[in-house]
Parts: sequence; C-alpha cells; structure tokens
Amino acid sequence: MPKWNDLQEQSFLESDARARAVGLVDEGTYTELAGPFDRFYSPHLEVLGEAVEFDDGIVTAVGKIGKTPVFVISQEGRFIGGSVGEVGGAKMVNTIRLAIEFHDKLVAEYPDISDEEKPVVVISFETGGVRLHESNAGLLAHAEVMDQLQKARHKVPVITLIGSKVGCFGGMGFVAAATDAIVMSEFGRLGLTGPEVIEQEMGKEEFDSSDRALVFRTTGGRHKYIMGDCNVLVHNTIAAFREAVAKLAVLPVSEFEKMRRIGSPEAVERQLRAVALAAEMQPQDARDVWAKAGNPDPVALTDIPLDEFIADVKRLSV
Amino acid sequence: MSTNSTEKKWDRRSADTAERLEAASRYIGPGKQFKPEDTVALLEAVIRAGDRVNIEGNNQKQADFLAECLNKVDKSRIHDLHMVQSAVPLPVHLDLFENGIAKKLDFAFGGPQAGRVAKFISEGKLELGAIHTYLELFGRYFLDLTPKVSLICAYKADRQGNLYTGFNTEDTPTIVEATKFRQGIVIAQVNEIVDKLPRVDIPADWIDGVVQSPKPFFIEPLFTRDPALVTESQILLAMLCLKGIYAEYEVKRINHGIGFLTSAIELLLPTYGEELGLKGKACTHMILNPHPTMIPAIESGWVDTIHCFGGELGMEKYVAARPDVFFTGPDGTLRSNRAYAQTAGHYALDMFIGGTLQIDKFGNSSTATASRVAGFGGAPNMGCDAKGRRHATDSWLKVGKEMPTLDRQIGNMPRGKRLVVQGVETFGEGRAPVFVEQLDAWKLAENANLDLPPVMIYGDDLTHIVTEEGIAYLNRCADIEARMAAIRAVAGYTEIGLKANPDETRQLREAGIVKTPEDLGVDRSRANRSLLAARNIRDLVSWSGGLYNPPARFRNW
Repeated sequence: MPKWNDLQEQSFLESDARARAVGLVDEGTYTELAGPFDRFYSPHLEVLGEAVEFDDGIVTAVGKIGKTPVFVISQEGRFIGGSVGEVGGAKMVNTIRLAIEFHDKLVAEYPDISDEEKPVVVISFETGGVRLHESNAGLLAHAEVMDQLQKARHKVPVITLIGSKVGCFGGMGFVAAATDAIVMSEFGRLGLTGPEVIEQEMGKEEFDSSDRALVFRTTGGRHKYIMGDCNVLVHNTIAAFREAVAKLAVLPVSEFEKMRRIGSPEAVERQLRAVALAAEMQPQDARDVWAKAGNPDPVALTDIPLDEFIADVKRLSV
Repeated sequence: MSTNSTEKKWDRRSADTAERLEAASRYIGPGKQFKPEDTVALLEAVIRAGDRVNIEGNNQKQADFLAECLNKVDKSRIHDLHMVQSAVPLPVHLDLFENGIAKKLDFAFGGPQAGRVAKFISEGKLELGAIHTYLELFGRYFLDLTPKVSLICAYKADRQGNLYTGFNTEDTPTIVEATKFRQGIVIAQVNEIVDKLPRVDIPADWIDGVVQSPKPFFIEPLFTRDPALVTESQILLAMLCLKGIYAEYEVKRINHGIGFLTSAIELLLPTYGEELGLKGKACTHMILNPHPTMIPAIESGWVDTIHCFGGELGMEKYVAARPDVFFTGPDGTLRSNRAYAQTAGHYALDMFIGGTLQIDKFGNSSTATASRVAGFGGAPNMGCDAKGRRHATDSWLKVGKEMPTLDRQIGNMPRGKRLVVQGVETFGEGRAPVFVEQLDAWKLAENANLDLPPVMIYGDDLTHIVTEEGIAYLNRCADIEARMAAIRAVAGYTEIGLKANPDETRQLREAGIVKTPEDLGVDRSRANRSLLAARNIRDLVSWSGGLYNPPARFRNW
C-alpha cells in the first residue's frame, strides 16, 4: 500500500486507480471493498483466454474525509483501457447501492444528522466505456449504474473526478454527465465518442485525432470548465482533487441540484439553448465558443497558468 | 611555353555554369526570383545528366518542393545523377532512384527511408558511394564530392535574393559555400519573400535562383521527448550516470543523444544533480539541439553555453529569450550551424552520451538492422576519441590516466581520452536483447553489399556502458578480455550477460571496473518519476514561463 503522505503531492494524472482511491480519503480510513484478494474477476475474459485482474480494473472502497463517509470507485486505465465489464460494473453498482442504504439507515437512526455526516460517492473515471469483450454484460452494467445514480438522487451526492490518462469516454461519458458534480484537472478529458472514432467515422477534415492540441481544447478540462460541463477545475495533484471533494462533501444535497447537467426541466432547457447557439454560431473550433463566452484572447487561454485561468476566464452562459 | 598556357582553358567550370544559367535566364526575374510553375523547366536548364547534385534536407529543414520538381524533369535528358547530401528522409529523395533520374548516393543518414535504401541497393537501382558522418561528408564537399548544383532551403528571401535561414540554419552555409565557390549553381526555395529580412544568412550573390514554394517546407519536432513517457528504469539509469560518471569525472562539455535516457538525465539535473552538488561542476557547456527537456536545467542556472546543430519546433521564443546561453544573431533569433556544432562535437567535447540498439560482446555498437541502411549522422564524430585533440580538460585527462595500457602505445607520454558513454536497458525496444554475440550490421553489410558493417561506435572508443545492472568502466580495462568480462557483468539476463562468471564479476567490482547501483550508493527505490524536474510537457511550459510553445501533438491540456 502506498504511503498516504507521499500520495498527496503525487500527479493525479500518473496515479493508478488504487493510489487515487487511497489518497482521496483521510489517512488510515481506507477500507477496500471486493479487493484483489477476493478475486472477483471477469469470467468472460477467462473464457476468451485473456489476462484478468483480480479487481477487474475497478477499485471500490470506503473511507472518510473529515466527518463525511466517502464511497470511492476508481477505474484503472492500464487494464484494457479502463473498460467496464460485468464484474467491474457490478462493483460500481453495489458501491453506490451501499452508500444509499447507509444513508437511509443513518437518517432513520439519526434524524438530526448534519449534511457533512451524510455519505457521498466519488467516482474517479479512467475509461473508454464498455469492455467490448463482454459487450452486452458491459452495456447492462452501464444501465445499472445509471439506475443507481437515479436512486441516489436527492440523497447521496455522486461526485465525478476526471484527470487520468485515458479520460472519460464512451458510455461512461454518459454516466459521468449524469452525476451531480464534475471535478477535472486540465489534463482530464470528457466526451462521448472518442477522438479516434470520430476521425474514423467522419474523416480527418472533421476531426484530426493526432492533433492533440485540438483534442484537448475540444474535450479537455479547460474547455469543459468554460462550457459548464465541469463544475470545478483543479491542479493535477491527488491533494487538489481531495480538497475539491472535501469542499463539496459538506454541502446540502439540494446544492448539488444546481450543479447538475441533466435531470430537471431547467437543465433540459439550458441544454436546448446551447444546442440552438451551436446551430446559430456554427463554431469551427472550441476557441470560437470561448470568444463567444466573452474571452477576448481565446488562443492565450490554453497556455496561461491554471490559477490565472480560473481567476480570469469567462464561462459560457446560455 | 607562353602559347601553350594561352591555349589551355582554366575556366571550364565557370563557362559551363554561365552556359547553363544563360539557358535558365528566361525563367529568372528580378531578385533572382522564378515562378513555382517554371521550376521543372529551370531545373532542366541547369542540371545535366551525370551531375553531382545536393538536395538540402536534414533534420529540420527540407528543400521538399525542389526535390519534388526534380522528380518531374525529363529523364531522357537528366539521368544518372550522383546525389551527395546529408540525409534522405523524404520519399521523394528515393523516388529519384526509382524514376531513373539519380543513380548514385553518398550520404550520412537514412532516417525513415533507410529500408528503401537497402532494397534499392540490392535491386541495383541505387549505387551506394559510402555512408559518411556529417563532418566527413562536409569535408568531401570541399574535396572530391563537390556538388555542381545544390537545391537549398531557407525561411525567407528578400527582393534582392538574400536569404534568411534563421533558427534552422543547419547545413545551408556549408552546402552553399562548397557549391558556389567551385563555380556551381545554387537554387533556393523559401517559405516567403519579404521586403526586409531579420538578418542575412546567405548573401544574394551566392544564389542563382529563388522560388517561393507553394507551401512551407516540411518540419517535424524530432528532438522533443515528452517527460510523461520517461520510465522509472530510465530514471535509475540516469541516476547511475549522474553519480557514476558526471560526478566521478565532473564532465563539463557534453553532447546528449536524443533518446529518453538523456532526457531523463536533463530532467534530473535540477533535482538529483543538485543534490550531488554538480551544479557548476558538470554540464556547463553543451552541443545540442534546443531540447525542451533542457529547460529546467537552463532555468536553474546549470548551463553556460549551448550551440545547436539545428533548431526545434516550439523552442523559438524560449531560445530567443535566453541569448546568454544560446548563439543568436543580431536580430535575436537562434543561429544554428551543423558544421560548427559537429566540429565542436568532434574536438571540444569531453563526453558523448547516448543509446544504441545493439552492443556486441566486444563493445562495438550499432543502430543498423539487417534491412535498413540507416547511417549515423553525427554520432560517430562525437562518439569517438578525436585523435587530433591537443587541449586538456580535467575529465579528459582523468579518463586517459585511468587507461592501464596507454604506455604500450605511446610510452610514458601522457594523453587524455574522451568519455564515450552508452546507456541502455539490457533489453530494449520490443524486449530485444541489446547485448548480442554479433551485430545485425554484419547481416546488413551482406544484404546491401557494403564494404564494412555500419558501426556507430567502435569498441575501442567506448569508455563506459551503463545498464540497470550498473556501470562498466571500460577505460579501466587492460585488454579485450577484461573489456568483454566487464561488458558481460552489466549485460543482465541477455545471453551475453548469462555468460558472466560471478567470481570474475566480483573481482571486477573490487577493482572498480564494474560498479553496481549499490557500489555507487544509488538507492534504487528513489528511482521514480517524482524525481523529475518536469513530469510532462505542461511542466516544461511552466518552467519556461510560457515561452516554450509545444507542437500540437505534445499538448495534453
């Protein structure tokens, strides 16, 4: 087990799933659920003769930040691209379910319990979505996670963290968008169809996936922050992500409703206004939208130091 | 007597050139400019069958438009050209041989076309003169391989035909000087024609024709290594190098290769290097392209001087803002020059350090594989002991003093030796063993009918090998047997390494000829990425205060 203190200043981008999970909760409070020693691994990969991981590439755990019980789900991009299959999906589903049940039990027993003592779920995404080796089971797992997100609604806030190498794409992009709050670093990427797939389907003129600068200014943390898809933009350390979670964890659950992207008539109307704006603007590049949001020098926004960016940037309001 | 000398003609070369330029004059307008659509016709006017022709193209600057046009000339008139040029990195360079326009090649570096060079040789489409080093080929430009026509490349020309080669001056002055002053013809392609140049790098009267190419020349960021891809194993090797070589010899004048090991070393200078107290004592003067991974060391005050072979995309503003370190022109932009950088590399360096694909049991190394005529560019000039060197430096003297058998060659006369260091993981790319019984270069020599197996660094020039097993101090070995034993001792689990005899290895360790990380006091557990001064390209931008502008492919934010 990595040392907690060493983890805090470690690059979130370079940290594996377990290091992220351990470092996100308070020192000494981490308990892994269905860990590698329990050997819940994918029966599908085994049948196909592929290598398995004894945690199926998803770390699930419970710990605390201050007074808040934190249920952690952390995906490992180095195992089949962080793809989600049946077992890993079930681990995600049941971790959220446990958080909800724990919440209900706490509230029943202690009706006066404060917001900061109620549990939250944190998901550190690093995934391209469904594991193609186990397609139907993997898709079903996505649906079940979405189902749990609905059940957690108004009870247990679900906080997304994105700042790992693979980013968060495919079906899991939908899942992340359906959570209550999204925290990203500038190295995080969030989207539905991945850049390579867009290029393959629509051609290099539409989207050149080898142009990483283009990929990041279309899917990366800074862009998502301007667009409002990302609620909080943080530095690339585990401590910075942890601090963002700590600030969110104490808020009443009603506050999270304001941060959501979907799930209310107001949110839907806002999304429709954004679609109308896109149709009217026909932006050729993310920078067109940054300029529209009121940023006089959109080109400079990419490289200015993060603190300066957060202080000065104008975010799109529709 | 006097009648004889008046009959003999002494200006046939210039008369020939004048005749060709006369034929081309209808295409050439004021300021020596001609139109892109006239380029093929112009080349047909100035080039004759059998000519020696140079197409400028090396790492960062390619006369690609002129090369394409040369492929379109009438081959019934222009054929059997003898190409003399540094590198053949573009497909069009080899198309000339496929199309029957060129016949013979003398060069220094094959790059991505190395496979085609080998194939063409065996098919008889290409007759290979020799594989040179840059300096060697440059030398022959002024002796027996002078080009008749050179097709060169610059960023800008002015209305008179003066050229600005700027940041990527590279080979241009050498090629132009050799060609023009032997009454040859120089044709230039430029990205733009302007009223006033930032500075004049090549004067107009050395140039015969200038064309603005339809699109800017092709350029690639070849020397940028993303710190995010540096592995912990490379960090361990870098720590060994710093402790066991940089600190041991206090090496000040260095060339770094372009692999990940040397970028790891560059990124450890401000951290581990500083901890070893090396700042000011090592790495003060360097011959290097502007590697972005040098930024943290430069910013931390390690480096006094860097002279560059060429430029590197994205480093323009940073270099211009650090004129105390880099060589810049009166206009403030970098002036690179491959010939001078290689001269410094050959005569003035105390150490060359880089990697390789294979090292044989004797210590000879090569990056050639069985089917690729790659060439080595400048590495052999820097990766050898320059026998013409006469000035002394402490590290050079120390390596000489450590050689136990120098007296068998020059008696009691003291002499130094350059450090030539190869840093490799025992298993390299694709898990292939780096230490081998016989180099693939032998097979290549056979396949491509070469006179010699292409060796990058010969075993007698190599002074140190660094692997994850430790350092072999080959300069401290008395004979080839001892060298082979030292090589075996650091060759890990390769077949060569498995032949190491533990008793022999122990003796070598006691004699200080082999040192393991433990012998050197290098803590393996510290070899992790937190030791890097920058862990990604973003960090390099921050170190540079926003002056470094990385190319799109390296941006992940």
